[in-house]
Amino acid sequence: MPHEVIMPALGMAQDTGLIVAWHKSPGDAVAADDVLFEVETDKATMEVAAGADGFVTQIRAHAGSEVPVGDVIALIGDSSEAVHTEEGPADATAPAATAVELPKGNNVIMPALGMAQDTGLIVAWHKAPGDSVAAGDILFEVETDKSTVEVEAGFDGFVAALLAEAGEEAPVGETIAVITATKPDKPVQASRASAPKVVPGPAAEISARAAETPAPKPAKAATPASKAAAPVAGTGRILASPKARRLALEQGLDLNRLAETGHPQPYHVADLETLKSLPTKGLETTGAATRRLTAELPSESFGGFAAWAAEAAGLKDAGALLAGLAAASLGREATVALERFGVARVFSVPVGPLGNIAAASLETAPDLIVRDLRASRISSVTLGAEDAPTLTLKQAGDGLAITLECASHQMTAAEAVALLSNFAGRMEQPLRHLL
Amino acid sequence: MRNITLSQAVNEALAEEMRRDETVFIIGEDVAEAGTPFKVLSGLVEEFGTSRVVDTPIAEPGFMGIAVGAAMTGSRPVVDLMFGDFIYLVMDQLCNQAAKTHYMSGGKLNVPLVLRTNLGATRRSAAQHSQSLHALVAHIPGLKVALPSSAYEAKGLMKTAIRDNNPVVIFEDKLMYNDKAPVPEEEYLIPFGQANIKREGTDITLIGTSSMVQICEKAAEILAREGISAEVIDPRTIVPLDEETLLKSARKTSRVIVVDEGHQTFGITGEIASRINEKAFYHLDAPVLRMGAMDVPVPFTPALEDLTVPTPEAVVENARKLMSGEMIHAA
Amino acid sequence: MSPAKNKKSNAEDYLRMYRQMVRIRTFEDNANQLYLSAKMPGLTHMYSGEEAVAVGICEALKVTDKITSTHRGHGHCVAKGAEFKEMFCELLGKEEGYCRGKGGSMHIADQSNGNLGANAIVGGSMGIATGSAFTAKLLGTDDVTVCFFGDGATAQGLMYEVMNMAALWKLPVIYACENNGYSEYTKTEEIAAGSITARAEAFGIEAHQVDGQDVLAVNTLAQKLVDRCRKGEGPFFVELMTYRYHGHHVGDINREYYRSKEEEQDWKQNRDPIIRFRSWLVSEGIATEDEIEALNAEIKDDAAGAVEYALNAKYPDASEVDMHVFTDVEHALA
Repeated sequence: MPHEVIMPALGMAQDTGLIVAWHKSPGDAVAADDVLFEVETDKATMEVAAGADGFVTQIRAHAGSEVPVGDVIALIGDSSEAVHTEEGPADATAPAATAVELPKGNNVIMPALGMAQDTGLIVAWHKAPGDSVAAGDILFEVETDKSTVEVEAGFDGFVAALLAEAGEEAPVGETIAVITATKPDKPVQASRASAPKVVPGPAAEISARAAETPAPKPAKAATPASKAAAPVAGTGRILASPKARRLALEQGLDLNRLAETGHPQPYHVADLETLKSLPTKGLETTGAATRRLTAELPSESFGGFAAWAAEAAGLKDAGALLAGLAAASLGREATVALERFGVARVFSVPVGPLGNIAAASLETAPDLIVRDLRASRISSVTLGAEDAPTLTLKQAGDGLAITLECASHQMTAAEAVALLSNFAGRMEQPLRHLL
Repeated sequence: MRNITLSQAVNEALAEEMRRDETVFIIGEDVAEAGTPFKVLSGLVEEFGTSRVVDTPIAEPGFMGIAVGAAMTGSRPVVDLMFGDFIYLVMDQLCNQAAKTHYMSGGKLNVPLVLRTNLGATRRSAAQHSQSLHALVAHIPGLKVALPSSAYEAKGLMKTAIRDNNPVVIFEDKLMYNDKAPVPEEEYLIPFGQANIKREGTDITLIGTSSMVQICEKAAEILAREGISAEVIDPRTIVPLDEETLLKSARKTSRVIVVDEGHQTFGITGEIASRINEKAFYHLDAPVLRMGAMDVPVPFTPALEDLTVPTPEAVVENARKLMSGEMIHAA
Repeated sequence: MSPAKNKKSNAEDYLRMYRQMVRIRTFEDNANQLYLSAKMPGLTHMYSGEEAVAVGICEALKVTDKITSTHRGHGHCVAKGAEFKEMFCELLGKEEGYCRGKGGSMHIADQSNGNLGANAIVGGSMGIATGSAFTAKLLGTDDVTVCFFGDGATAQGLMYEVMNMAALWKLPVIYACENNGYSEYTKTEEIAAGSITARAEAFGIEAHQVDGQDVLAVNTLAQKLVDRCRKGEGPFFVELMTYRYHGHHVGDINREYYRSKEEEQDWKQNRDPIIRFRSWLVSEGIATEDEIEALNAEIKDDAAGAVEYALNAKYPDASEVDMHVFTDVEHALA
């Protein structure tokens, strides 16, 4: 058995050695102590002895090549007859002999389809190498997470290379096909296992579009808990202790509401008591009952009243009047949102003369919503509670139907009855109520 | 139950174990007739002779090394290191040799030795005789570290340490040598890794080690008068650490202060606070506070030295802050 | 070569000494080869050239006597009775190694033969050796401990502390200073002022200097000193003049800046402990050249088999990583 000459480990943390020169050639006689080759490592060049007597029968790595420590770089045999003249492929820096010249064109990459997806499994190719293809054609199918997605070619032209086989996984972003403008002479079909590394051509545009809209986001059940934990939008994180946050989560409490009230941060467990004592807000977080009351007026006088007010008092904004009557029905200063013909307006209504009603910003949260559907064909509403008690006006014959809807926490039953009664009275005989 | 000093308790533990096991011996500077500067070992040489109560030259690395070799070959040495500050001198023998031998030998060699030394400032001894360096050794895998907080613990932990087949470092509080505590006449051992709940409470947990257990107990007294119920826990050994007891208390009270006499930075307090933070995070209603010795060399003058160590008042002040929900270190 | 006494009756001992020296050399040649071929993790420090020291001394010891060893420790380990298989397994980090692969070349310990372990801290084992002698005295056994260390370790303070105590307490320990002329990459004369033996003599410790390439001279002196240690006449100090053929470690190839190839060749060709002892064995008629060649071949095969076994042996399971941190905790991080 010939003596194997290996690239020795010479330095403290050395993985490879550079062969500077061979002192013997294949066929030369050599003694164990003879210098066989020179190696450069770290900062020094070392002469290395043959290590065995005999003849150099093979040299496997050229001078100038860098060889991993432990690799066999030469053989020393008993006779000069077994000399291999050709040099082997042990030159570590040489590229793999099987390298494939890839056609230049547009690279199709494995698209990222899922949320945390690193690879995609190619289920099937819809085109074969050499096929013509249009940008909108389905080129391949990818399986990711739980769904299979068809992916369009993205480019017009010809399939010049398919670099992965059906059934193989490819990392997201990696080129898996090449589409050229002209029909390729030698279309390439490769598998991932053997595919050479692909460097994008200079003009290659990298693109891949899923034929459908991106895979649907996982449908996460929107629990009240996750909602409660959300920080205050725009105002930065709420400062709260981990325990306070956890308890709020478990109990479905929304720390945002505490912040909205201006309760000082940071929040601790004790502050949750304050939060619990706040009136609950919004149907969506509470699931609280909705109050719905309806009043019918055989005739209405608001139209006449509005005309009179415009003429006699210069109050030409019928909307403001309506808001004013609604606020007056609450018996206090209020912000009233008026929705009419799909347009919303907000009024600030002080206590006192209707002439003092002023327009307010649309951002202002209303105390009362008036939805004027008199001009519509809608005959009945059950819309549920909104952010504020809502009065809906509808035409009913010659008269009016008025519906009040509100969440139970927004008004007590008595308050709701009072509001609707007052408002119905004002709509029936506006002047009398003014006097 | 009789009351004896911490010094007597250690002496009793050593005498009992030396009577029980003839491979146990004491080695160190002035351990024999002098009985150490703190007189902890008085009387032992009379009973056991100079072959088992061995006075050494002033050569800490040397006698520490000898103890390691003796422990590897069938003896059970108790090394007396006169001041905890001298632990720097024995670091190679303790940390490179004793701590690693069992592991490096694949479990074939044991090093059953005890290094007994001390900690604690406010003895007006200045920076080279006042340090509390237990964090240094607790950092090294393979060493167990015990911190007795009273005469009772000092005896029970010492006896356990001598019987342990691993290197154990015991730090006694040198200000506590004359403090008396009830210690049973009958034999007892205190197992390692079992924290002691010194006082039960519901509002805040005070974890104190060694000298700081008393500080925490005094703080708890003051807090009780203010209607704040503090739980005081003494881990007794920091390696192994009874994490479960500490976490359970943290989950219960949701507020924790860790008090230790080692320097605060990169110390025991940080380690314990960090474990609570990792494992009881969602039960915390306030940040876990660390209270260690000030990060300065211990000054000589009483006017400055007393500032460097946590006091009951300082613990109380921090406890109040946590209870009131005051914003702590928040930007 | 020292004159042999009762050479016929001691033929067996002589052959065993020769055999042990060749075993050390063969072990090191294989270890070096494993390193060069990148089959061994880390690196190692070769004992080649110093065989007569370890063998001359350890052949004077009983199994229950203790030694402490150094980073250049394979020779001590073999000489104290260790097996190739477990040693190669340890060098390669395998489960069947003496330390389950957790110590490696620099920490091989073989408790069954009284080897308390190699030590990667220069001079680090001097306290351990002295403590081992302390145990013998405390427990009343007649075990002797030999502390192997190099000339480089004489610069460590620990040596003086423990020699002082060993002398004060008359401990049965022999401090064996292997003076191979180099403290890592520096000549000993550049790191040691004055006489090495005088260091021990200052403590009233009887000190000797001996040719460390002469296994009979080393063994004769060791037997005398070991016997006297058992009688309570210790401690002793021996300076053994020897030479390391390789660099400080296997990667220390370019060493002409601190010593010449001519010097190395001189030691290898003219003072090699194995060549010298072999020719003495032949000339004294204790063994023939053929018998010696057969012995060498047998050891070579033995080593090759052990290397092969170790290369194929399994690594420790990942679950071992936190085992043996403490004696009483199976998994320290569980």
